[in-house]
Amino acid sequence: MNGTVRFNFMHFMPYVPLPENQKEFSSLWVDFPNKFYDPERGHQLYQRYLSELVLADRLGFDAVNVNEHHNTAYSMMAAPNLIAAAVIPQIRRAKICVWGTPPNLEYPNRLAEEYAMLDVLSQGRLEVAFPLGTGMEYWANPVNPATARERLRESIDIILQAWTQDGPTSYYGDFYTYRYLNPWPRPYQKPHPPCYIVGTGSPETVELAAKLGFGYSATFVTKKRARELNEIIRRRAAEHGHHIRPEQLPLGVIAYVAETKEKAEQEAIEHIRYFFEDALRTTPRFLAPPGYLSVDQLKARAAMADKMHGKFDLDELSDARFIAIGTADQVVEQLEQWSEEMGTNHFNVLGAIGNMPHWKVVKNLNLFAQDVMPRMRARASHDSRAAAE
Amino acid sequence: MIDPFAQFQRETHTINGVKTVILTAGRGEPLVFLHGAGIWHGLGFALPWAEKFRVIVPFHPGFAESGDDPAMTEMHDYVMHYVELFDALGLDKVRLVGFSLGGLLAAKFAVAHGHRVSRLVLVGPAGLHDKAHPGPDLFKVPPDQITRMLVTNFDVIKPYLPETPDLDFMGARYREGTTLARLLWEHPWDKKLPRYLHRLTMPTLLVWGEDDRLIPVQMAETWRRLIPKTEVAIFKGAGHLVLDEKREAVDAVQRFLS
Repeated sequence: MNGTVRFNFMHFMPYVPLPENQKEFSSLWVDFPNKFYDPERGHQLYQRYLSELVLADRLGFDAVNVNEHHNTAYSMMAAPNLIAAAVIPQIRRAKICVWGTPPNLEYPNRLAEEYAMLDVLSQGRLEVAFPLGTGMEYWANPVNPATARERLRESIDIILQAWTQDGPTSYYGDFYTYRYLNPWPRPYQKPHPPCYIVGTGSPETVELAAKLGFGYSATFVTKKRARELNEIIRRRAAEHGHHIRPEQLPLGVIAYVAETKEKAEQEAIEHIRYFFEDALRTTPRFLAPPGYLSVDQLKARAAMADKMHGKFDLDELSDARFIAIGTADQVVEQLEQWSEEMGTNHFNVLGAIGNMPHWKVVKNLNLFAQDVMPRMRARASHDSRAAAE
Repeated sequence: MIDPFAQFQRETHTINGVKTVILTAGRGEPLVFLHGAGIWHGLGFALPWAEKFRVIVPFHPGFAESGDDPAMTEMHDYVMHYVELFDALGLDKVRLVGFSLGGLLAAKFAVAHGHRVSRLVLVGPAGLHDKAHPGPDLFKVPPDQITRMLVTNFDVIKPYLPETPDLDFMGARYREGTTLARLLWEHPWDKKLPRYLHRLTMPTLLVWGEDDRLIPVQMAETWRRLIPKTEVAIFKGAGHLVLDEKREAVDAVQRFLS
C-alpha cells in the first residue's frame, strides 16, 4: 500500500420488515407490491440508518456512501441526494459519496445541479459515481434500456460540460438539447468532484470509465472477475492517456468483525443470507430488460445466473466474493491480501448487511474502526515510509 | 428442433448498409409477407401460397438472419427499409401480408406508399390500443409465458422450441427483444396510426384468431372501423398464430389475394 488507506461505510438502507410470505415473491424488486411499505416503520428505519451514517463519521470512516434503487425493499434510497443532504449537516469530516444516481434517470442538468449543491453544502466533500443503473431500474423508470448506454455517455458528457465550461453553453445531442446550459450553483471542488463509474462488469461500462479516466468499481462480480476488471481498466485507461491511481479502484467488501471467528460468523450469517437470498432476489427478466445487455453478456450472465442472485452457501460465497468475517486480525489480514491482489487502497465497507439489527451494525462499525482501520493505516504509512527510505 | 424455413431459398441483399436476408418460394406475382416480432416458429404456413405466388419473406433488420442496425429506432426506419428493399428487388407493386408487428409495419407502409400495395392482409396486427380491450403489454409478459400465449394448441409450435433451456435460443430471442425495444419500449402502441388508416383504400382483409391472447380479437373491430373497406375473417380455435394453427386462415388469405 502506498501510504494511505481509505475506508468508506456503505449503506443500502433496506426496508426490512417484510411480510411473512415474502419468499413466495420471485422478486423483491420492480413488482414487489408497495402495499408492504409501512411509512411508520420507514420513518424509524430512516432515523436509525441516518444515525449509523453519522456514527461512521464519528468513528473515523473516511466517507459514507449512498446509492439509488427504485421499486424495491433492497433500498429506501430512491433519491440518494436527499439522504446526502440530510446527513451533510451532521457529518463533520467524512466525505459524502453518492455512488450514485443513474444519470439516465434524471435530466443531466438537474443532476449536475444537485451534485453541485451537495458539493457546495459539504464544502467540497462530495464524490459521485455515474452508474448505468441495474436492469431493474429500467422497468421502474420511463427510459429505454435498449439505448441506455448511448444515453449514459451523452448524459455524462453534458454533466462534465456543465461543470467544466463557463456557462452559458449549448449542447445538441441525440437525446438532449440544451440551448442554455448554465447551471447554478457550480461545484465547490475544481474542476469537479471526483467521479467514478460503478457497474457489474459490462465491457462497455469499463471502457467508458477508462476513456473518461474515472475511477471504477465493480459490484456483484466474483473475485476473479474483479481482478480482471481492475487490470483491464488500468490498461485501457493508460491507452486513453489516463493513469489510474489505487484509490480510484474502490473495492466493495462485506465485512463483519467480532471477538472470535465463530462469533462473527454466527452473528453475521443470517444477514448475509438475507442479503443474497432475499434483498437481491429478482428474476432474470428484471435483471436484463431488452437491450440492457449485449447478447454475449446476456448469455454469459445467464450461464452463471444461479450464482448471481438467490442461492446461498456461505463457504462457496466467501470463496468467490469479497467477504471478510472474523476477528479484527483476520479481517486485517484478509483486506491487506485483497489490497495487494486488486491494486487498491480504497475499501467500500458494506458494514450494515441485509437485515442486520442496529446493535450489530454499531458493534461492527466500532470494532472495525477501533481494531481494523488504525492498524491498516499504520501499516500502510509505515510501508510507505520504509519504501521512501 | 426442426428447420423452420425448409423449402425456402435464401437471398442476401445489402439495403442501406444492412444485411437483409430474404426467403423465397414459388413463382408468379410477388406476395411479400412481413413477419412478427419472432419468426422462430417457421414459415410452413406460407408454403400453400407459393403454389400460386412468388412468396417473398424478408427478415426484418434485427431479426433472425438479417443484420442489426441500432440506428433504426422507429417504425418509420423499417417502412423506409422496405421502400428501399422493394426498389432493390424491382417490386413496383405487391400483395402485402403482415402479421402482428409485421401487420403494423404493413399498415404503415400501405398508408404512406399505397400505390405499391395491390391488396393488403393484416393478420392480428399490432399497433393499435383500445382501452376497452387492452391486450397485454408484450414487454411485461415473461418469455416462458409468451410461447404459451401464442397458440391454443401448443403442439403447433412445440417442435420449434428447444426442449431444455438453450443459451443460443435465449440469446437470439434477447437480440430480437432488443430490436423491438428500440422501436416500441417508450410507446408500445402507435397513437398516430388511426389518423391515417383512412388512406388504406386498396382491398384489405383483416384476419384474427378468435382466441388471440396477445392482441384481443375485439381489436379487429377497432381496425375495421378505421379502414374504409375491409373484410374481416375470424377463425375459431386459433390464437395469435392463426396462420400456423388454421389452414383455413391460410386458404382465406390465398383466396383474397387471388
